Amino acid sequence: MSVKTKEVLKDDIVQAVVVADTFGDEFLPISSDIPLALFPLINKPLIDYTLEFLSFGGIEETFLFCCSHTEAIKSHINQGIKDGAEWSLTMKVNVIVSESCHSFGDCLRDLDRKGILRGSFVLLEPGTLSNIKLLPIIRKHNEIANKDKGAAMTLIFQESGIGQMGRDPNEEAVVAVNSSNRILFHRKMGQSRERKIEFPLEIFLDNSSVSLHHNLKDTHIAICSPSVLPLFSDNFDFQTKDDFVKGLLMNEEILGSTVYCHITKGNNYGGAVTDWRMYQAVSRELQNKWIYPLQPSVLRNNIQKNGVIVGKGVHIKDNKKIINSVIGDNVHIGENVQIRDSFIFSNTKINDGVIVTHSVIGPNCEIKSKTKITVGSIIGKGVTLEKEHLIEDTLVQATEPENCDPKDKLDKKAFRLKVTGTEDDLGKILSKKLSRLHIEDNRPEESDDDAFSDSEDEELSYTQSPVPDDTKLFFTEVIDSLTRGFEDELRCEHLILEINSSRYAYNVTVREVNFNVIKAILHMSLRLSTGPQYFSQFVRLLSYFAPVLKNYIRNDDAMLDTLQAVEDVAISNENVNEKWVMFVLKWFYDKDYISEDVILEWSKTLDAKSRFYAQVKPFTDWLEEAEEASSSDED
Amino acid sequence: MPQNANLSDVITLISDIKHGKVFSSYEIALRTENLLEKVISEEKWANAKELMQQIKGKIQQVTQSLPLETTATNIMRHILKVIREECDQVSKKKGEGQSLHQLVTADQSEERDYSESHGDLKNCLLDHLTEYKVELETSTENIAAQALEHIHTKEIILTVGKSNTVEKFLKHAAGQRSFQVIVVEAGPLYHGHKMAASLALSGIQTTVIPDSGVFAMMSRVNKVIIGTHSVMADGGLRAASGVHGVALAAKHYSVPVMVLAHMYKLTPSYVCSHEKDTFKMCASPANIIPYSTGPLLNKINVYNPIFDYVPPELVTLFISHQGGNAPSYVYRLLSELYHPDDYELY
Repeated sequence: MSVKTKEVLKDDIVQAVVVADTFGDEFLPISSDIPLALFPLINKPLIDYTLEFLSFGGIEETFLFCCSHTEAIKSHINQGIKDGAEWSLTMKVNVIVSESCHSFGDCLRDLDRKGILRGSFVLLEPGTLSNIKLLPIIRKHNEIANKDKGAAMTLIFQESGIGQMGRDPNEEAVVAVNSSNRILFHRKMGQSRERKIEFPLEIFLDNSSVSLHHNLKDTHIAICSPSVLPLFSDNFDFQTKDDFVKGLLMNEEILGSTVYCHITKGNNYGGAVTDWRMYQAVSRELQNKWIYPLQPSVLRNNIQKNGVIVGKGVHIKDNKKIINSVIGDNVHIGENVQIRDSFIFSNTKINDGVIVTHSVIGPNCEIKSKTKITVGSIIGKGVTLEKEHLIEDTLVQATEPENCDPKDKLDKKAFRLKVTGTEDDLGKILSKKLSRLHIEDNRPEESDDDAFSDSEDEELSYTQSPVPDDTKLFFTEVIDSLTRGFEDELRCEHLILEINSSRYAYNVTVREVNFNVIKAILHMSLRLSTGPQYFSQFVRLLSYFAPVLKNYIRNDDAMLDTLQAVEDVAISNENVNEKWVMFVLKWFYDKDYISEDVILEWSKTLDAKSRFYAQVKPFTDWLEEAEEASSSDED
Repeated sequence: MPQNANLSDVITLISDIKHGKVFSSYEIALRTENLLEKVISEEKWANAKELMQQIKGKIQQVTQSLPLETTATNIMRHILKVIREECDQVSKKKGEGQSLHQLVTADQSEERDYSESHGDLKNCLLDHLTEYKVELETSTENIAAQALEHIHTKEIILTVGKSNTVEKFLKHAAGQRSFQVIVVEAGPLYHGHKMAASLALSGIQTTVIPDSGVFAMMSRVNKVIIGTHSVMADGGLRAASGVHGVALAAKHYSVPVMVLAHMYKLTPSYVCSHEKDTFKMCASPANIIPYSTGPLLNKINVYNPIFDYVPPELVTLFISHQGGNAPSYVYRLLSELYHPDDYELY
């Protein structure tokens, strides 16, 4: 085996690329002062573990790509080399600075331009920790690449059980592979929480054996062929590694590239700090030696009872009520302080009677007496809390944020930071919450389910599952096209063409197209100024789009879609004019877009108690009456 | 301090050990000896003091990066003592001679500083190293040669896990005696399986038993023969986890426990001294309970210690290439091997 290893080494130096930035806002407000790479993980910067893993895995040259806080990272690396840190002995580390990059994909495109990578290389996403021996996997990847010229990437997964702490609930993945471990289907479930997954039939028809895996967690490590970088350059919409994998699998024929996977078992561990929850999980796993031989320094840390790890120069007056926490260097903790499942970074002072649970307190903070910090709060660097406070599920930072609400000012040097993101985006906020520290180890599962059923109730409208992202994007695109078309008075044929092309781009079904186009047009009607002229304006709008409507409403199914779109818009917009529904239905009926039978049939499926039904009822009654009248006329 | 001295050779050794390219203690020993030979013949040093400083720097480097690696450091330590001796000899030859008075007072009062330079010190040392290399290379055979003194026909021998030295020892005896070997499989790594396969191949009647069966089988066993990771200064062992239990069972049934140990396994440090944390080293629990177990792992802590400390009173005899020694004699061997000044170099 050693001979083979030497061959690999002789051919080319084994190189690795580490991207140091997350580009996300998961770690705010602490990440605005400390880069993720220098986050202390049991009192040792995260990057040191990553580098140690790489040198242990047999990597000889590493490129560390950083885009923010570059000076801090650079000086840390240089200090490490000067002090003869373990990784520096067998591995060369180059820091690449590029502040113009705004995503993972940008970094790789930049690397492609620089052309410093020679052969296959190891690609690490930010915050990765592992003890996987890389050389055998690189060798295997090269063997595969010899057979299959298109092999671009080998993703490394680790077997892990459902509900395990180290398995990020935001990163649940489902993978289908064939007998030679080529990935046929890869799907990160993320927050979409679909209960059903549809596998394309082809993968079962084309392959004699397919294994489906849901027992995996992403280690965030990938072995890449040299072709990966040009692929990133050619496809500038690849922002993350997941985009890359998705894009490659979708356009397998066009790009001619394939992705393989490697599943590690036994004592191989891999994982990444992607959010606070993973931060907690990884530090606990590090503590429990899962990542052996990577481990916290025994010389620097003092391990106390109740799972407490304490750094250097820490003063604790009484440690009876400190449980399961990591406390950094030079921390002062007063009397009768309770700390549970929390992380206190270095140089922080916590006075008597403070209670901290499930929270992270950044460096150089001062927490005065009797403050209570609970439920996944994150306190940024240098915050001083003077008065008594109850801080619950909040981000606090020391500097004043822009357009700060006076209510959010907690103290001279403490401001509440709002979770950014669109407010109606329930999934996003939920995922933020999920990404905080565990509230209780066994409870999240249940509470998760409750939360999800809530969100489902609100989002549920047309289908029995939440709208997938692509369809959502398609919808916004359609609205954009139509609005522009209406304002610039473009011809409807062009608009139809535009809609159809976005339909292919987002891969939505015909029925979804019908539904979304109608919904988009109706949505536009809501933006019209309300007033006496409202309905005449509305008619103008609808008449303008008549060719579009005609194009999409072609059969009974499409009519049903149209009606459901009406229903969807009416229900989701509470303040819509009461006569709106009636008006829309009548217009569609009068212009012969929708037949009477379909309307009547559809009205039977409605919930008789709902407010919407009450709005529809007069119209259907009128229809029925008219029918009776006409039939009686015939008599 | 020669901190900026050339450490690249040690670094490659360390990384090779870490990456598992050199695995057995014998390979590490040979590598270390080669390394020292190179240092003496190729590095620049004016006198014994400088050379010793260089080697000390390397020892520190190894202990820092691999706190558990004793073979390499022990060999380097031994060479430090050799340098001292050679120096004394060379200066004696030069006719400086030590008077009786000097001999009596030298050790207590002033320390020799070895800073005078001698032209032929280098050659003397290289000669000595070649001798030492031969000693290392033949050490295993020398130990194995004693097998016939300890293993008799129809005996039942129990061993734990896999040890190259024990393997050779048993195979040597099997040439002339017929006996039976019980191999404890030694979870969670189960190296015992490999050991048993190898023994069975050379025609020894071999039985593999689980770790839990040790006590039950011990009553029938005539001798326990094991290898060890290192021998501590008090004669206790730092051996693979599980050995302590075996030694206790042997004590209960008054079965002699023999430990095959090369001289370089003798380590001049005690348990629970500065090394206490490294002794408690735990490996990944994945070998005991797989990571895919699920949410159970969120609630439990699993410890998988690598080493057991076996106290000296449970060991009957150490067998080195020079012959058998009782644990109580280890301190004497240590002072023959190393200079007291080199016991602790941190």
